[in-house]
Amino acid sequence: MGTRYVGARIARNEDPALLRGRGLFVDDVRLPGMVHAAVLRSPHARARIHGVDTRRARAVPGVLAVYTHADLGRLGAPLPKLIPHPSLIHHKTQCPLASDAVRYVGEPVALVVAESRYLAEDACDLIEVAYEPLPAVASVEEAVRPGSPLVHEDIGTNVCARYTQQTGDVDDAFARAPHRFRERFVVDRGAACPMETRGVVAPWDARTGLLEVWDSTQAPIPIRNGLAAMFGLLQHNVRVVAPDVGGGFGAKIMMFYPEEVLVPWAAMRLGRPVKWIEDRRESMVAMNQEREQIHDAEIAADGDGRILGVRTVFLYDSGAYIPYGLIVPIVASTTLPGPYRVPSYRCEFAAVFTNKTTVSPYRGAGRPHGVFVMERLLDRVARELGLDRAEVRRRNLIQPDQFPYDVGLIYQDNAPLRYDSGNYPLCLERALDLIDYAAWPARKQAARSEGRYVGCGVACYVEGTGIGPYEGCRITVEPSGKVVVATGVGTQGQGHMTSLAQIAADALGVTPRDVSVHTGDTALFNWGTGTFASRAATVAGNAVALAAQAVRERARRVAATLLEAPVEEIELAGGKASVRGVPARAVSLGELAVAANPLRFAMPADWDGPGLEAVRYFTPPQGAFSNGVHACIVEVDPETGMLSFHRYVVVHDCGRVINPTILEGQIHGGVAQGLGGAFWEKLAYDEQAQPLSTTFMDYLLPTAAEVPALEVAHVETPSPLNPLGIKGAGEAGVIPVAAAVAQAIEDALEPFGAHIAEAPLSPSRLRQLIAEGRRTP
Amino acid sequence: MKLDGTNTLAAPIETVWTTLNDPEALRRCTPGLQELKEVGPDTYQATLTIGIAAVKGTYSGTLRITDKQPPRHYRIALEGSGGAGFMKGEGSVDLEPQGNGTLLRWSGDVQVGGLIAGVGQRMLGGVGKMLIGQFFKCLEQRLGSGT
Amino acid sequence: MKPAAFEYFAPRTVEQAVDLLAQHGDQAKVLAGGQSLVPLMNMRLARPAVIVDINRVDGLEYIVAAPAVLRIGALTRQRAAERSRLVAERCPLLRDALRLVGHVQIRNRGTVAGSIAHADPAAELTAVLTALDGEVVARGPGGTRVIAASDLFVTYLTTSLDPREIITEVRFPALPPGTGWSWMEIARRHGDFALAGVGVVLALGGGVITEARIALTGVGPTPVRATSAERLLTGRAPSEGLWADAAEAVRAAVDPDGDIHASAEYRRHVAGVLVQRALCEALTRVREAA
Ligand SMILES: Cc1cc2nc3c(=O)[nH]c(=O)nc-3n(C[C@H](O)[C@H](O)[C@H](O)COP(=O)(O)OP(=O)(O)OC[C@H]3O[C@@H](n4cnc5c(N)ncnc54)[C@H](O)[C@@H]3O)c2cc1C
Repeated sequence: MGTRYVGARIARNEDPALLRGRGLFVDDVRLPGMVHAAVLRSPHARARIHGVDTRRARAVPGVLAVYTHADLGRLGAPLPKLIPHPSLIHHKTQCPLASDAVRYVGEPVALVVAESRYLAEDACDLIEVAYEPLPAVASVEEAVRPGSPLVHEDIGTNVCARYTQQTGDVDDAFARAPHRFRERFVVDRGAACPMETRGVVAPWDARTGLLEVWDSTQAPIPIRNGLAAMFGLLQHNVRVVAPDVGGGFGAKIMMFYPEEVLVPWAAMRLGRPVKWIEDRRESMVAMNQEREQIHDAEIAADGDGRILGVRTVFLYDSGAYIPYGLIVPIVASTTLPGPYRVPSYRCEFAAVFTNKTTVSPYRGAGRPHGVFVMERLLDRVARELGLDRAEVRRRNLIQPDQFPYDVGLIYQDNAPLRYDSGNYPLCLERALDLIDYAAWPARKQAARSEGRYVGCGVACYVEGTGIGPYEGCRITVEPSGKVVVATGVGTQGQGHMTSLAQIAADALGVTPRDVSVHTGDTALFNWGTGTFASRAATVAGNAVALAAQAVRERARRVAATLLEAPVEEIELAGGKASVRGVPARAVSLGELAVAANPLRFAMPADWDGPGLEAVRYFTPPQGAFSNGVHACIVEVDPETGMLSFHRYVVVHDCGRVINPTILEGQIHGGVAQGLGGAFWEKLAYDEQAQPLSTTFMDYLLPTAAEVPALEVAHVETPSPLNPLGIKGAGEAGVIPVAAAVAQAIEDALEPFGAHIAEAPLSPSRLRQLIAEGRRTP
Repeated sequence: MKLDGTNTLAAPIETVWTTLNDPEALRRCTPGLQELKEVGPDTYQATLTIGIAAVKGTYSGTLRITDKQPPRHYRIALEGSGGAGFMKGEGSVDLEPQGNGTLLRWSGDVQVGGLIAGVGQRMLGGVGKMLIGQFFKCLEQRLGSGT
Repeated sequence: MKPAAFEYFAPRTVEQAVDLLAQHGDQAKVLAGGQSLVPLMNMRLARPAVIVDINRVDGLEYIVAAPAVLRIGALTRQRAAERSRLVAERCPLLRDALRLVGHVQIRNRGTVAGSIAHADPAAELTAVLTALDGEVVARGPGGTRVIAASDLFVTYLTTSLDPREIITEVRFPALPPGTGWSWMEIARRHGDFALAGVGVVLALGGGVITEARIALTGVGPTPVRATSAERLLTGRAPSEGLWADAAEAVRAAVDPDGDIHASAEYRRHVAGVLVQRALCEALTRVREAA
């Protein structure tokens, strides 16, 4: 199979429509007779509900219904528990509408359906809820303190899971190590903030018994499966479509958010299509959040800075419920060792309920935390032992001949954590070259002599990607010669319409423009899990490759019959099948598609079924592990605590690159989110767990003015685990940013002795840390 | 949200104490007060329209005075809710003779929740302090300022 | 985030607008660029019963240079003022401050007068008006009056304007030739409201400072004129040490609030830093002009 398009920097198939405003997002779905829903949400972080009076709301003209928990019947039960884990003793999930208690600000209490969203919101104002506010748990540390209020009173504790993983004899390593350093690291809460918030539009046709759900989700097929089960419908009669989706970053994969159940349910009750679009203020409290962890971490090293052991005990904030189980803290603890040889390691965490919005994976999904801890520990080793930071890393990297490398832990997919391939030293050296690390000490000195404080940071990471269980794909060549690729993964801006088309195009000898990729519509492909964990390109991409290969073989067999030539001599190129060396003896793919589906006459047995079509699945045995290095140069104004980024370099290895433009886009977006988590984005809560940053005036997403120009370079070490040799790249950009930026700031502020052990920072906080450093340059 | 302040009043401590316990004075000095009903000893039901400029909301709730130690100290607890959110606060007022006048120290811990906390944090502290300040300023005016 | 119901009027003249305001009193709100009012309404923090949209009123969109003052009509967009040659020549302090008001999209709609009327405690333009001792012209049922900046800003989001009055014009005194100026601010991101900001005007004669104007934003309920620092500067020869003294005087004079973005101490500290840097820049401009 040729590789004309895989690896090529081609423009995206989806952009002409998106850039002209011709995308189809959930809010673009407008149906005759459609009515609008609004959700009344709890203003209290913790309260008992003694009653909900909806009479005044129901009396508003134009209001069709006001639903509370009491109306839901069987559907009022707690929502499904995703991904159970033996250590997760208290797997609490929320009810679609709160019954007798609310546990975070934003928890749905009632659903109003009205002729317009305006009326629905007016009616929400008129619902009277008798709350008895109770003291709330606002932080993980408070949650584990004896006597703390309980988020779930029935379980008698706020700790829902404790889990320990270990490799090697950690305590022995620490007992014998010449150097041990301890630190406490705090990573605060952030939000994914996709440009498109959540949204659901559901029409129900009572005559055909067909429920259609337009849902801005990353996992349409599991949503379809779940809804069919909940409503007692055939899966065949439920169609879930995730059309164009304006970003997800993990937060749109919940299965289920309350609204995903309530809106279809209301549509079935009312016999009218119902639309609900989450507004930004709702989104800041009702879309899952992430990132809060507190680590007590320790590293043991020898005199040369070689790692002897690492241990961490950490608290993981799950928010008020824990639908997604322990994925985030498991990913954090298994990402922590990173590209380094860590002979002994123990991570021990407690997952803790607080009265805050529920946590589920957000781009990075624990990886940034693990990397922050590890990289900061290595910086400490370098500082204490008087070693160069890059050299400490160099000495500890896993070497290219050590793959597959068994880390000795169990990963999030319940498989052993085994790195498939990589060249970590090469990535580090490339990054150091690009940032001109050799000249750094001199440049730093030069800046100091001008009274400027400039620092350099270098951080490494490994990113687990491409986990199973499977994805599938059906490829059909139509009589027009156009190729239709249908897969179950959704797309939220990752460029699947192009990268999957490139894979199919190479196999079938067409151009990516001839390939129409369909994702996220359960009517078009029946099986799949979803787009998460940097897996779509790897898992669905290889399914596309397998299906395309199968279609190609069938096309060649059909062509062999038509052209009366041996199969071995049939070539596919330029949208045609031809006999090698005789280009005139050719037949177009479209003609082949027609011929492969005859109206009469027997079909040759080796065509193996009608049409040019094949369905294939790819089931990776384990994840594929990408890696990379970020390096940056940051200037700090010590008088104001403001930063300016001089350079930001990313060297990245995700195996074979399908499309560098798309890959770089993924990395740019990730770095922007990482910078947010390093310096701008913080979900502030007060001591009663009231969210204080529910608008973009207070929740500070970095804009184009904040994000520096990024310099991205690729290293390609193919994965041996899949035919295309690719690995995922979705989360790479975000992972080591906070670590690299913290290191650069600490380097810049070295004359002040400021020590950084938290993310995100802020100018105000930096001024404080400078003061705490108690040194004057 | 912790707030505090001091005011110097021209009147002797006993007068200040009486004024502070006089529903009429409370009625006149509480910013935006629409209604104040005594519903029990030292317990009032209040309706207030407070806020700034266009950002005004009506809140109703209760106000309780406890731990009375005439003429030097009491505690005050209030709780209210309205369209734009809710608040709950507790504070203390301490009086101390100062020359011919009285030194009044107040401190409180106010929690504000709901919409107004989520979108208005930038000005919430300042506005809270300003409103409480207005109350004591008004008392100052009624009693004459000590400075 | 849909506003509560309201009644909507779109008058064509100032008289009609004032009539409507007179009729509805504090139930009504003037709508100009909508960049502050509409978000408040969408969040239902503000629920005016009546909206008087002045965008169709004729004759309110102008920038005119009178000898010593720039007159800016109430419907002049911030972006228009920012790009105006007259503003650049006569009042570059205003232009520099405008560049940091929100984002281009905001300034395309937001008006100069709307920002003044809204009186956000961290707005740039209120501080510029205060630094320059500018004025607004207000029309109400009782006629027209001129309000000095020092009488205009009352507290957070509150001016001394009567609810039945509209601002028809904002007047920014022009900077005499040879005057130095500087606008400096610290914001978390480009376009955010300032954590602290300062506008400085500096004039020199015979080697000493003949006039110093300093106004700050973001460090209190209203823009703050740093009069003690101004007094300290006037009559003295410029020096780094003098700037540091002025910074200290400013820190002593302001009483900022803390919030989730910055502590009160931080704001006080950077207010001083900004004053120092702004004085330095203003001096450079004086020297460049000379
Ligand atoms: C994302 C964002 C960022 C922003 N950043 C900044 C910033 O950094 N600095 C800054 O200063 N501002 C900022 N703003 C606010 C912006 O400058 C507003 O445009 C300005 O505050 C209001 O002007 P407007 O014309 O839009 O007024 P409107 O929003 O229409 O009105 C605001 C208020 O003023 C009243 N009003 C308006 N015009 C008149 C008049 N002629 N007479 C009487 N009353 C009147 C209205 O009744 C209302 O109460 C930002 C806004 C947004 C949305």
